[in-house]
Amino acid sequence: MDYKSGVCNFCGTGCGNYLKITDGRITGVFSSRNHPVSKGRLCVRGWHLHEWLMTDQRIDAPMIRVDGSLKKVSYEEAVNFMMDRMSAYKGKENKEIGFLASPRSSNENNYLFMKLARGVFKTNNITLDSESGHKASLNVLSEGTGFAGMTGSLEDIAKTDFILVVGSDLTKMNPIIGSEIHKAQMSGTKVVTICSRSSQIAKLSNVHLQIKPGSKKVILGALAKAAISSGAADSDYISKFTEGVEVFKNSVNSLEPADIEALTGADYSLITSIAEELCKSSSAMAFWSTGIAGLDQDTVSYIYDLFLVAGKIGKEFSGVNPIAGIANLQGGYDMGAAPDLLTGFQKINSDAASKFEKAWGTTLNKEAGRDIYDLLADKNSGLKALVVADHDEGIVRYEKEIEALDFVVYFGAYDNPFIKHADVVFPVAALIEDNGTYTNTERRVQLSQKRIEPFENVMPGWKLFPMIAAKASQNWNYSSAEDVFKEITSLTPEYAGLTYAKLIDSMGIQWPCNDKNPAGCRRLDAEKAGRKFKFADVSGNYKTPSATAEYPFLLIRGQGEHFWHQNNIMKKSYIPKREYNATLLVFPEGYVEICKEDAKALQVREHWGVKIVSASGAMKVSVKISDDVKPGTAYVPYFIREMITEFLLEHKSDIGRGEDAIIPVRIERV
Amino acid sequence: MYLIEKNNVMKLAEELAKSYDLYGPVIDKETKQVFFNKVENASEISLTAEIPALPPKTIVFPQIERITKYKYDKTAKKAEIAMTYDDRSKAIFGIRPCDLTGILVLDRFFLGQEFVDDVYKEHRKRMFIVSNTCVVPFKQCFCVCTDSGPAADEGYDLNLTEIGDMYLVETGSEKGKAFAEKMGLKPAGDEYITLKKKAVDKSISLFEKVATDNKAWISRVMNRVTTGFIKDDVWKHIGNQCFECGACSFVCPTCSCFNIEDHNRFDGSTDRLREWDSCSFEGYTKMAGDHNPRHPVEDRRNKRFFCKLSYSQSKKYLRPGCVGCGRCQWVCPGDIGLPNVVTYIRREITE
Ligand code: SF4
Ligand code: SF4
Ligand code: SF4
Ligand code: SF4
Repeated sequence: MDYKSGVCNFCGTGCGNYLKITDGRITGVFSSRNHPVSKGRLCVRGWHLHEWLMTDQRIDAPMIRVDGSLKKVSYEEAVNFMMDRMSAYKGKENKEIGFLASPRSSNENNYLFMKLARGVFKTNNITLDSESGHKASLNVLSEGTGFAGMTGSLEDIAKTDFILVVGSDLTKMNPIIGSEIHKAQMSGTKVVTICSRSSQIAKLSNVHLQIKPGSKKVILGALAKAAISSGAADSDYISKFTEGVEVFKNSVNSLEPADIEALTGADYSLITSIAEELCKSSSAMAFWSTGIAGLDQDTVSYIYDLFLVAGKIGKEFSGVNPIAGIANLQGGYDMGAAPDLLTGFQKINSDAASKFEKAWGTTLNKEAGRDIYDLLADKNSGLKALVVADHDEGIVRYEKEIEALDFVVYFGAYDNPFIKHADVVFPVAALIEDNGTYTNTERRVQLSQKRIEPFENVMPGWKLFPMIAAKASQNWNYSSAEDVFKEITSLTPEYAGLTYAKLIDSMGIQWPCNDKNPAGCRRLDAEKAGRKFKFADVSGNYKTPSATAEYPFLLIRGQGEHFWHQNNIMKKSYIPKREYNATLLVFPEGYVEICKEDAKALQVREHWGVKIVSASGAMKVSVKISDDVKPGTAYVPYFIREMITEFLLEHKSDIGRGEDAIIPVRIERV
Repeated sequence: MYLIEKNNVMKLAEELAKSYDLYGPVIDKETKQVFFNKVENASEISLTAEIPALPPKTIVFPQIERITKYKYDKTAKKAEIAMTYDDRSKAIFGIRPCDLTGILVLDRFFLGQEFVDDVYKEHRKRMFIVSNTCVVPFKQCFCVCTDSGPAADEGYDLNLTEIGDMYLVETGSEKGKAFAEKMGLKPAGDEYITLKKKAVDKSISLFEKVATDNKAWISRVMNRVTTGFIKDDVWKHIGNQCFECGACSFVCPTCSCFNIEDHNRFDGSTDRLREWDSCSFEGYTKMAGDHNPRHPVEDRRNKRFFCKLSYSQSKKYLRPGCVGCGRCQWVCPGDIGLPNVVTYIRREITE
């Protein structure tokens, strides 16, 4: 049989697939009918995974920078060069070193990368790349429930009664999850979407609350207020399973119906009826995208608290569910690729650290590190060296700051724009050239098996990272990726019961998998949680951005399916790349979507060039006229290089706020 | 007409494997999904496996294949070009009638029109086809509505029909007949004409109970699609649900669209590839200057159904473009596989 089961490596849905292997090369992909998540479906990306995996745009040998240009050398030489140069930063608790991990690498490679940072270089400056929102969501869930992941299951979408989608377009970001929601809607589930733009998921919903840009917190707070004041809130659940409701009640009670309507543009009686339906439904799930266009922590806290008020967390077919945009974003956090974490959301400054010290035979720096992007933004941070894995954005953010660093190390399988900043480059075996586990957005740990030999004999991570550790006199003893996984499971309570054998026999197992749940765990269970769920702190700040005479439009931004934050691996495909180019062909400078009325008032037509001006920058784009936005709203998809580097990056603080980064602008004809 | 005992039927495949690369339905051990794939050994093939997830069209029209290889020598200013057609002889064992009909439709597209596609011709030229009558339909099937099953009428060298503990072996070509003779198969008596008819009738009668996933009575719908009397709202309703994944084209036994790409190899040579494409993609018909004849997604969707269900298109294929396999229904994230679309259009007609 040429078809071997595998896992899609694009987004966090974790669809099952089959890869066709002929004569040791990959020649196709097909969907997996029995896979519990994808059930025979794949999206445009998944249907073209083979195009990416068959690319010859690979890194074929280790390289070091000599006199300004990269020269191919042996692994041995490259490791010596790296350790030699990095020794300059020793003995300062290594605040000068940073690690940028990849949400696409396997759990095994992320774990080793994290171990290298903390165990060998004694730095806790480690961040998952391409990310802003998932950690915020996990913080809320972990604080509140002790469960640092989606509390429900994707399989339950088909069975739930009520679905609330907040924000970005799931049909584009995680299409197969969008598909599950759509199919549930078709068979009777009530779907409500909150989004300022008429996205596809909004069109497929029963109710689309097309609120004014930047008013998500207001509407979420309003739903909670309405639930409480109408008496629909689940008071039994609240008293039995939760604590801290009073503080939350107070902060939403300050919202007055008239203000709510003015700020959101939505009708309060509609809000009340939705709140009642949510509470009275037999089960309900909330979904929001994380990642670059994700929600900020405050907004996530409102969703979480609203669902506690409705009594819909820790119950059958219910839950609050952050949706990871990249294959192993959840797994990256599970492996501790964050300044304050070890594996399984164990804190670096907790007792857990001593367990790792013992297992690793070394001492750890127990003070949480700093986020790499913060360090890059902060001119006085003292960051000197950066170690990067599998960067997959086509755009290197903070390019100037990275260029100014002393030393950059890059690990990766594919040719990448990051390489031009690197002083040492290590090739590593790619997906299906080595075994590796990946954890999807619903905590499903899946094994992607080795199906072909590594390109040009490049090393797998479990061989390469120990080589580096050995230079620092640490003896890491692995003879396979499976050995690494065994170490992970021995140190990570949620993963304790997992083995490769179990994973091969299943289509993934959802953590926690341990003595209590040997077959994994579909959802958080309020009855068995052994604790109360804490209401999350919310800001009570309902200020929304407002348009002014000078800047009459509120600009929102979003990501499309094909352009997917200028994804570097997407560019190694054919059909998805062509789809990206199809948009580029028509809108080479990118576009701004405005409604007919606004276009008329501005006296512009489709395709005409306009200048978008904000308080801190300007960019040129073309006009696209669409019914999908309301008057006063301008939408730009996030896919043109100049737009991101020249304009959006000028709004760094706004971008940090994730999806609710609303920028007041004016649009000028040119 | 010949007969062979059930427990000997795989001997036919074993014999074919001696002179052909052998393909057939294979059940994946780990996951139980059925593929139509090349086998090393005839014993891997299952004649009772359900309709394969992967359509056998991949054998004559692979998902991605190299059609030319070239290398440019800069110093000598010379290019070496090699056509790399797949000219292996292939035996297809146990193809279902719908999928066989699919190959006949592809034949009419690749071989029967203004041009002849050499790549396809090479795949198809030395082929031996053994089809397998569906004595029981599967959940997703609706070939009775599209006139492409549950028994094949043409296109095979041999056709197998399970009758009691025997397989009836019909021959559809001289090649097939010669093979049956060579195998020394026992001739079947005339009573087997009736027995086969009974088996097929029984299968048809089982559709009501067994083939419950899809019903798509397409004839009235074809009329509507051809005359263009379907309301824009219906297409819009359908288009809004399309996730633009391309799957419906990829799994369809009759979809023939492809795209050409040059793949630069590490050794400096270039592979010219052809790969499956789909009319659901925006880039598929995109031309410079936003002159996209099928811009909104609902237009692209209606193109697919026009292709599958209009008379003008059927004239080219000598039959409707849909062969009733039901695959597009289970792969579609938007829940708008052809059977559902037929339902939407019929609903509009009755309203
Ligand atoms: S939804 Fe995500 S995991 Fe599934 S096929 Fe698409 S990209 Fe792959
Ligand atoms: S559609 Fe008809 S011919 Fe095809 S497998 Fe089903 S019953 Fe057989
Ligand atoms: S249109 Fe759908 S049901 Fe018809 S032949 Fe194609 S894949 Fe099968
Ligand atoms: S399978 Fe469905 S969603 Fe995908 S392109 Fe076809 S109609 Fe659209």
